[in-house]
Amino acid sequence: FSNVISKSDVKSLAEADEQEVVAEVQEFYGDYIAVNPHVFSLNLLGCCQGRNWDPAQLSRTTQGLTALLLSLKKCPMIRYQLSSEPAKRLAECVKQVITKEYELFDFRRTEVPPLLLILDRSDDAITPLLNQWTYQAMVHELLGINNNRIDLSRVPGISKDLREVVLSAENDEFYANNMYLNFAEIGSNIKNLMEDFQRRKPKEQQKLESIADMKAFVENYPQFKKMSGTVSKHVTVVGELSRLVAERNLLEVSEVEQELACQNDHSSALQNVRRLLQNPKVTEFDAVRLVMLYALHYERHSSNSLPGLMTELRNRGVSEKYRKLVSAVVEYGGKRVRGSDLFSPKDAVAITKQFLKGLKGVENVYTQHQPLLQETLDQLIKGKLKDSQYPYLGPNTLRDR
Amino acid sequence: GPFGDPGEVREGFLCPLCLKDLQSLRQLQSHYEEEHSSEDRDVKGQLKNLVQKAKRAKKKLLKREGDDRTDSGSQERYESFSYGGVDPYMWEPQEVGAMRSHLSDFKKHRAARIDHYVVEVNKLIIRLEKLTSFDRANTESAKIRAIEKSLVPWVSDQDVPFCPDCGNKFSIRNRRHHCRLCGSIMCKKCMELVSLLLASKLTSASKEALGSHTSPNSSPNSVHGSRRGSISSISSVSSVLDEKDEDRIRCCRHCKDTLLKREQQIDEREYTPEIVKLYEASPTLCCFHLPKLRLCMEKVDQKAPEYIRMAESLNAGETTYNLERANDLRVEIQKLYEFIDALSKKILSLGLHENPQPHPKTLQLQRMIRYSATLFVQEKLLGLMSLPTKDQYEELKKRRLHMVRQVKLVHMALETHGKQEEKQKDFISRSTDTVNGDATHLKKGTVRKSEGWLPTSSISRESEIADPLLQQIDNITSFIKQAKAANRIDEVHMLQENLRQLQDEYDQQQTLKAIELSKKQAEEEEMQREELQVLREKEWEREHHKLMSQHSRTCSLDFREVKHHQHEVAKEDRNLTAGALDLDITQIKGDPSFETPAVEQLPAKEHLIFTLKPQSVPQHDKDKDQTACLNPFEDEADTPQSEEDPGNPFAKDTSPVVSFYNTALQSDKKEYNPFENEEEDEQTNGAPHSTSNPFEEDENPFQKPLGSWNSGNPFEEGSSTNPFEVEDGNEVSGEEAIEEELLLQQIDNIKAYIFDAKHSGRMDEVEVLTENLKELKRTLAKQKEKST
Repeated sequence: FSNVISKSDVKSLAEADEQEVVAEVQEFYGDYIAVNPHVFSLNLLGCCQGRNWDPAQLSRTTQGLTALLLSLKKCPMIRYQLSSEPAKRLAECVKQVITKEYELFDFRRTEVPPLLLILDRSDDAITPLLNQWTYQAMVHELLGINNNRIDLSRVPGISKDLREVVLSAENDEFYANNMYLNFAEIGSNIKNLMEDFQRRKPKEQQKLESIADMKAFVENYPQFKKMSGTVSKHVTVVGELSRLVAERNLLEVSEVEQELACQNDHSSALQNVRRLLQNPKVTEFDAVRLVMLYALHYERHSSNSLPGLMTELRNRGVSEKYRKLVSAVVEYGGKRVRGSDLFSPKDAVAITKQFLKGLKGVENVYTQHQPLLQETLDQLIKGKLKDSQYPYLGPNTLRDR
Repeated sequence: GPFGDPGEVREGFLCPLCLKDLQSLRQLQSHYEEEHSSEDRDVKGQLKNLVQKAKRAKKKLLKREGDDRTDSGSQERYESFSYGGVDPYMWEPQEVGAMRSHLSDFKKHRAARIDHYVVEVNKLIIRLEKLTSFDRANTESAKIRAIEKSLVPWVSDQDVPFCPDCGNKFSIRNRRHHCRLCGSIMCKKCMELVSLLLASKLTSASKEALGSHTSPNSSPNSVHGSRRGSISSISSVSSVLDEKDEDRIRCCRHCKDTLLKREQQIDEREYTPEIVKLYEASPTLCCFHLPKLRLCMEKVDQKAPEYIRMAESLNAGETTYNLERANDLRVEIQKLYEFIDALSKKILSLGLHENPQPHPKTLQLQRMIRYSATLFVQEKLLGLMSLPTKDQYEELKKRRLHMVRQVKLVHMALETHGKQEEKQKDFISRSTDTVNGDATHLKKGTVRKSEGWLPTSSISRESEIADPLLQQIDNITSFIKQAKAANRIDEVHMLQENLRQLQDEYDQQQTLKAIELSKKQAEEEEMQREELQVLREKEWEREHHKLMSQHSRTCSLDFREVKHHQHEVAKEDRNLTAGALDLDITQIKGDPSFETPAVEQLPAKEHLIFTLKPQSVPQHDKDKDQTACLNPFEDEADTPQSEEDPGNPFAKDTSPVVSFYNTALQSDKKEYNPFENEEEDEQTNGAPHSTSNPFEEDENPFQKPLGSWNSGNPFEEGSSTNPFEVEDGNEVSGEEAIEEELLLQQIDNIKAYIFDAKHSGRMDEVEVLTENLKELKRTLAKQKEKST
């Protein structure tokens, strides 16, 4: 079993095994999907109803988290985001399981105790709305990664064996080396890959004139095949990405998105959003996202012109389903909900930082935005994360463990 | 865990020292720490340098230059690789996660349940046995009733007003019936009957089981286990039979259920599904002497590695294993593959023609078995390298022996050189007054000598002792021993690979040295020979009459002596020479081990001895024959050495060097025998021809007077018996054979690729591959034509 099972389940299983065929009953904890070495997912969609947990999803999330802790052999202290009720509920559930299965969680204690920090996405609704420009993120954003698989069937003129490809850093060197690089670098890297491949290719395809040639061919063939598979895969994926970027005018869209996320110039932002809403190349999805970003950032701005933008969306023929998202996202991640301030710097250091940044100019307009998570983790590592915002759960019992 | 593989260009995480492919960076690190930390850093660096230098030199010489760049490129990439901000390699090694076993709990519950069930069943069966132990047919029903009542206490009628199963009220119409097995009450509708046949089946099965139940630790329900299949046929009949009430025993639904379940168990024990019969490898089923799929696979798993070891060794020309045995093993393994293929096909088609088609899941299971068997065969069969043919093997053995000997030769040459030098001086002083016809060549030789190889030899001797390669080889040999002692097989393999590479490298070096040295040696010997000849001429003239009076048979037996004298004898007595030559060649053909060391060792020594005591040759020759057979080099042949590994660049390199060596030798000979050039060329060119027809010359002894004259000279003899050259000649034909083998192998490989490509539907690849296959087949046909 990949998670904790109840004793009564074991009993009923045992009683049903009249033929005595069961040889082992073990729990190995792996009740989650490890996407990357540092990322896992439970593959859940929509775990909350309104601002409350869907009970089934809460228990599933608790199971997944505890399985993760067990497989990592960590019995952590738990902190959660005070502003989020679901975060607190989850923290309590996890703690409950740890208390119940205390024998399982009896791991060797480390000097710095591990920490489970539970955050609520609603605290930073901005980041997921932005277009990304690193390889894996782009693929995920534009094509969708599902258990390392990418569905390319909608790519125009796709060949049969590339309908669905696997992108896994485990056995794809190119991907492993490039998954976190940005799009421009990938472009040049894929060019190198192609050239490398071309250099090898003529060798493979020349006439087999001597025994040695043939021998070499047979020896190199599997490797060649693997390489040609890698090349065609990445060329297709990157090709499709750049096609989508051009088709959806994503560079321009992204620039405005970044401006909405990082800068505080309302009039320029509004102007740019309006301009893009007029652009027929911008998809309705991207248009709505722009308006959502605007709504989140300038929610309380004195000259907020959200209604005007909404009208423009409607005039553009954006479906109501999408238009509803704007108010939904404000409800979900608006100022009222947020525990931390997304847009305006809080302290002097941060203000100076932003000022300096403004002076230096931005290195890459498409990657200005730093997700809130980065700051949170930074503070956590420096020990500056405020207890008032991220309290410990049951400070005494757990910290004593 | 770590997941990217930055070092991988082709083979993954290569250890920079031993080039072993590790699966991940972490493994590589631990491998590095485990394997190489004990080595001195300097030696390591030195070694690395050496190997790389040697490789570079070789590439310049023999290979395309591109490899070097890719190699270094891979290393740079490996070092400079960064993980885009996330560096999982910095993380601590992840332990295996927590786990928990529920087995003891599970077993406890299961045992309790089964115990309960077994007790219940046994109770029923014992009662059933008692109920059927008397002759029911010939006993009055009242009496039966009494017996039944005495065996099982019946529940009293008053206590049960309603049928417990259907809830109907008992009345005069709806009468009570007692279960004869548990005594409970039910109505007629709910009553079940157990036929006597079923009863006897159940009870006899139990009795047998009790009889055979000797093992105390068998599972609880094996108490009533049975192994015989004779009863199962009865049960099918029993349900159909319409018997009298006396032949059946009334019982309640629950007891009947329990009994039926029991019967099913008995049946299942007897029945083995067809698919299991074909698949299973369990020892109980193997007694049918039918091959089982799993069993075949296990055998292959056992035998294939053994075979591969053998084939590798044989292909390297080692004599550790017997070629025939390897061939047998190969045939055996191939037979197993055929079995696997046939069996899996059979499994695949099981039940396909039956009318109610098997369950889709059954079919899926069958398909998957077939698929896994196909994969198994593909994977293992492709790894099964071919064996050399007998001739090839001889060839390989020779080549290997040759390699080893060349290495040894260097040592020997170094040792004997000093002596020779002195003796040579002696000769020179003795023969200064003789007029030499080939003065210029002699001069050339001396000039070369004066260039001096003596310092070189001392240097090379020193460098040999200090050779880091040798040190490294020693190191690794001891590592292997340690690893073997520690039973770490994969490490042993890895180290052996390492050792092999080093040895190749070392052999390579030694070969080069040997070439140089033997060139020099040849020059000197040549010089000696000429001096010798002059001396001999003189002596011969003295001995001539004596010699001629000897019986010619002595001469032909003692071909060596004849050889030396033939030089002159031939002119006068061609008959005798031809006979001697005949014998000479035959003997050489018949005794390959003789020729190799003899020619190498002979020249210097023999001439020396010969001049000193020309008459005692026969005895002397025999001795030499023996030494040749006892030659220590033959033992050397067992040391592990270069295998004919296609991936091993060193193995391929040897042959050009060897042939280079040959030409070097020959060109030397040409120098001192200008008048024989033509003849020699002919011999060189026709070498394979003449080896395949050793008696051709003998058929026409008079047609080739020059040839026989040649053979009178031990050095010219060298040109035809020279192991290098013979090998060279054979190599031509051997290569063809190898190529053919290779072609066949490749055709197999490509077929597999095509299969694979077809399987995954890459039609364009299939096309390319088919094209290749055709090409290969054409070449094969051509090759065959050529060879026939």
